[in-house]
Amino acid sequence: MEIKPILSALSRNKTGALLIALQIALTMTIIVNSVFMIQQRQGQMERESGIDEKNTFLFSYMGFADDFNEKTRIVEDLDYIRKMPGIVAAVQTNSAPLTGGGWSMGLARETGPDADGVGTAIYFVDEQGVDAFGVKLLAGRNFTADEIIWRERTSNDWPGQGVVTKALASDLFDGDWQAALGKTVYINETQPINIIGIVEKMQAPWNGWRGVERTLLVPNRTLFGGGRIMVRTEPGERDRLMKEVEEQLFANYKGRLIRNVRSMEEIRTESYQAHNGMNTILKVLIVCLTVVTALGIIGLASFSVNRRKKQIGTRRALGARKKDILRYFMLENFLITSVGVVVGAAMTIGLNMVLVDMLNLPKIDWYYIPAGMLLLWFIGQLAVFGPAKKACQISPALATRSV
Amino acid sequence: MLKMNNIRKVFRTEVVETHALRDFSLQVNEGEFVAVTGPSGSGKTTFLNIAGLLETITAGEYFLDGVDVKDLNDNQRSKLRNEKIGFIFQSFNLIPDLNLFDNVDVPLRYRSMNAKERKERIENALDIVGLANRMKHIPAQLSGGQQQRVAIARALAGSPRFLLADEPTGNLDSAMAESVMELLEDINSKGTTIIMVTHDPKLALRAPRSIAVKDGKVSEVSRVESPVEMPLHEPALA
Amino acid sequence: MLGYYFKLSLLSIKRNPILSTLMVAAIAVGIGASMTTITVNYAMGANPVPQKSDQLFAIQLDSWDPNRPYREPDILPDQVTYMDAMALMKNAPAKRQTAMSKVFAVIEPEGEDVRPFETEGRATFGDFFAMFSTPFLYGNGWSRESDDNLEMVTVLSKETNEKVFGGENSVGKFIRIAGREYKVVGVLDDYRPIPKYYDVTNGAFREPEGYYIPFNLIASLELSRSGNTNCWKPSDEDGFQGFLNSECVWIQFWAELPTENEQQEYLGFLNNYAKQQKELGRFPRPLNNKINDVMEWMELQGVVQDSAKIVMWLSVMFLMVCLLNTIGLLLTKFSTKSGEIGLRRALGASKRNLFIQHLMESGIIGFVGGIIGLGLAWGGLKGVSALFGKNVQHLVYLDSNMVIFAILLAIVSALLAGAYPTWRACNIQPAVQLKTQ
Repeated sequence: MEIKPILSALSRNKTGALLIALQIALTMTIIVNSVFMIQQRQGQMERESGIDEKNTFLFSYMGFADDFNEKTRIVEDLDYIRKMPGIVAAVQTNSAPLTGGGWSMGLARETGPDADGVGTAIYFVDEQGVDAFGVKLLAGRNFTADEIIWRERTSNDWPGQGVVTKALASDLFDGDWQAALGKTVYINETQPINIIGIVEKMQAPWNGWRGVERTLLVPNRTLFGGGRIMVRTEPGERDRLMKEVEEQLFANYKGRLIRNVRSMEEIRTESYQAHNGMNTILKVLIVCLTVVTALGIIGLASFSVNRRKKQIGTRRALGARKKDILRYFMLENFLITSVGVVVGAAMTIGLNMVLVDMLNLPKIDWYYIPAGMLLLWFIGQLAVFGPAKKACQISPALATRSV
Repeated sequence: MLKMNNIRKVFRTEVVETHALRDFSLQVNEGEFVAVTGPSGSGKTTFLNIAGLLETITAGEYFLDGVDVKDLNDNQRSKLRNEKIGFIFQSFNLIPDLNLFDNVDVPLRYRSMNAKERKERIENALDIVGLANRMKHIPAQLSGGQQQRVAIARALAGSPRFLLADEPTGNLDSAMAESVMELLEDINSKGTTIIMVTHDPKLALRAPRSIAVKDGKVSEVSRVESPVEMPLHEPALA
Repeated sequence: MLGYYFKLSLLSIKRNPILSTLMVAAIAVGIGASMTTITVNYAMGANPVPQKSDQLFAIQLDSWDPNRPYREPDILPDQVTYMDAMALMKNAPAKRQTAMSKVFAVIEPEGEDVRPFETEGRATFGDFFAMFSTPFLYGNGWSRESDDNLEMVTVLSKETNEKVFGGENSVGKFIRIAGREYKVVGVLDDYRPIPKYYDVTNGAFREPEGYYIPFNLIASLELSRSGNTNCWKPSDEDGFQGFLNSECVWIQFWAELPTENEQQEYLGFLNNYAKQQKELGRFPRPLNNKINDVMEWMELQGVVQDSAKIVMWLSVMFLMVCLLNTIGLLLTKFSTKSGEIGLRRALGASKRNLFIQHLMESGIIGFVGGIIGLGLAWGGLKGVSALFGKNVQHLVYLDSNMVIFAILLAIVSALLAGAYPTWRACNIQPAVQLKTQ
């Protein structure tokens, strides 16, 4: 097909063609960057917390009555829960992955204020912690019951043992996580913690934190006046036990409040609500944008077909086949779109640079650009097909009529 | 009424320069009915466009009703056109989705004229062309001759001193053409100056004065003292 | 004349119903999308106390780690230590000022009807209520004497008062908070600054707390407090006193400084104070203290989230696409009208006449698109509210400003989109068009 006549026809209606090209460029810029952002968020959301989310739930308690004795209360409550049928394990803890609130400290291989530290999340657990969260111990051992120490709200003392995640071990020991086992690291500049175990994966409570994979479990039961209890059940028993645990604990003792009884699955949904919301908005934007651009192309192409009716009829009369007419419009659209996607590629990279700057997003992968170009070519061809098909139907007899 | 001295009109494109009119001079007096003839490409349409202030001139002088139009800006030209000139086109140029009343209303709308006066003028103009009873119809419901009558009514509604007609009967059959011509003569007899462009020499002979344009010049001004009554569009001889 | 243009515009719009619908739809979705996101950004970035925002100052002191700043690059802590808060409360020259922190407790209503419930409170100084212009339903805040004398007084939020006292005037009554009896001195009316500027550290769009108690009670009663706490070194002593004397920052500190002089004087005081502390071995970083008025503080704390800004700019780009679309459609549409335009020119219409006529046509399309777009924005905000839950519920309503803005935006957009096609249409040479029709 000869491109030259199309080009010369286009050059006579530059503005119209430029408008579509610019529209396609902007559309590509928005769509490609949005898809990239969606995938980034999707990737974050798909990270595993490392715990048994399907069969766990978490609740908060807080004592208020004059006769509330946290120490005996916790012991009794945990004993009671652990004996309920269907329960795998239960543990008092300060926080859990995906909750968004927790405790963090720095760990270092040396003592002193100038030592290079690694930030980590802290979970206070007892000997059932590993089981209650359902994390997998890769090396070493779990805490024993006699290692558990009661911790006051304002205490500065740390137990001598700790279980770390593989990621934390790896960050502390220059990538060699296995080397961490049995080693001593320091918390609060001077206090030693012996790494007795390494778990495969357990996220920190903050899903937006760069060090989200770094977690330290310490053998403490807390006396903070309030706290959380993590419960793990047999498969399929969770929903029943969530209700029962809440009712039974309240029935046993009314001087403490039990709140926020939620499954880890609910907590995950809530934790990523903003992520999900943002992704939905971007998806809606992409759909609207595609529809608007496609309708625009259809509208303009229909008009151009209408306006060129006589010309098309003449061409047909002079021997052009239907598919020549079809090809003419398809090729015309392809040329305009090509200008659009080339400009769009540059604008896409430009917008990505802004996003890298503002949102700390990584640079866009190269293959997004050709993928975006292909998509826009496809949308363009699809949109112009209808009007082009209509152009084919124009009768050659039109040439002899005066419109 | 209309006075053109040595008018030149040049169309320039990137490649060629076309001299549509050169040293074109003409004077038309008040109340005249002038036919302009000439082969296609002779410059008669350019002359009409210039006379109707639709185009500017490259050189020369043009006085319309004593006003030198050379230095008028676009707005002033629009105003002059609106008030002094009525147009009649070969293809009528009615606006298809306006009814007859609204079509005749178009030029009046661009004058500051109140609704009552406009209404009177429109009804009066449609009455003159015999279509007062069809005001609410749209052009597509009329025959070609009727449409041209509406166009004439539109031209008359603003009571122009000066009527420019471009092949007014070109798209009409002979019976309709005849009635349109009679209408124009009637209008002329009431004092309106008419310039009519036509390529049909027989039609031109019906006008009291006839000029011919050739190669962008008024090449001949001929005058027959009393025009011979001739039927329009004589059947072609076999 | 405008009436005539209006009539012609409607006729012209009716002439190409599909094309007109496309244009209206393009503008409507563009306006809908951009108004949804602009509204959220507008609410996030709104000035929560327009009458006083340039008189209230968030105080920042650099008491942080000598080896690394609080946040790169050299950003000051957004809260202050207990030691510094107490020193400022005592000596700093402000018309009013307050240190504050979040606390939490179980409230036990009398009788069996209402179960005990946990709620967050705010420990603050009596100046808080006057500083932040909180509206009172009953009673008042407490005095500075009450602060000094560690009086067990409280101001309740309207909701708490509803819950515990059924909404009646509870001033003078007692309420049991965290096992202790407090005397109610005031009940607030609806109070929900958006953003919650005086404590953005703990969530700029969180609900205000359920009760207010004197800040000094935190230390004297060793109350359970909550909220962001950051430490750069371990405290030297154990126990609650050790925490209070630590270098941990956990207190929001605000001062009311109505005049330039007072602001200079206050900043001077802060710098002198920091120098004194340096002599005592604290404040190891270079001298750096700041006072920030409300809007500066919102900006500094990034209250309008970057992701919200991005989505807003994306949707504004989307609106641009919609406008380009409209320009293209108008261009083709007006080009089919060139015959009529040429005719009108020949019949005496000036360029201006035609320009106004076609601009009106664009304006009508914009107006209709804007109205539909408003509906879409309303739906969009409902959607945002459903997607993001209660954190955004106060960010997602269209006030009258936004409605007017949306319609103006639609019309201006449409006029902008219409300007070029109109200009092109009006420059059609009348003569050329009449020859060939």
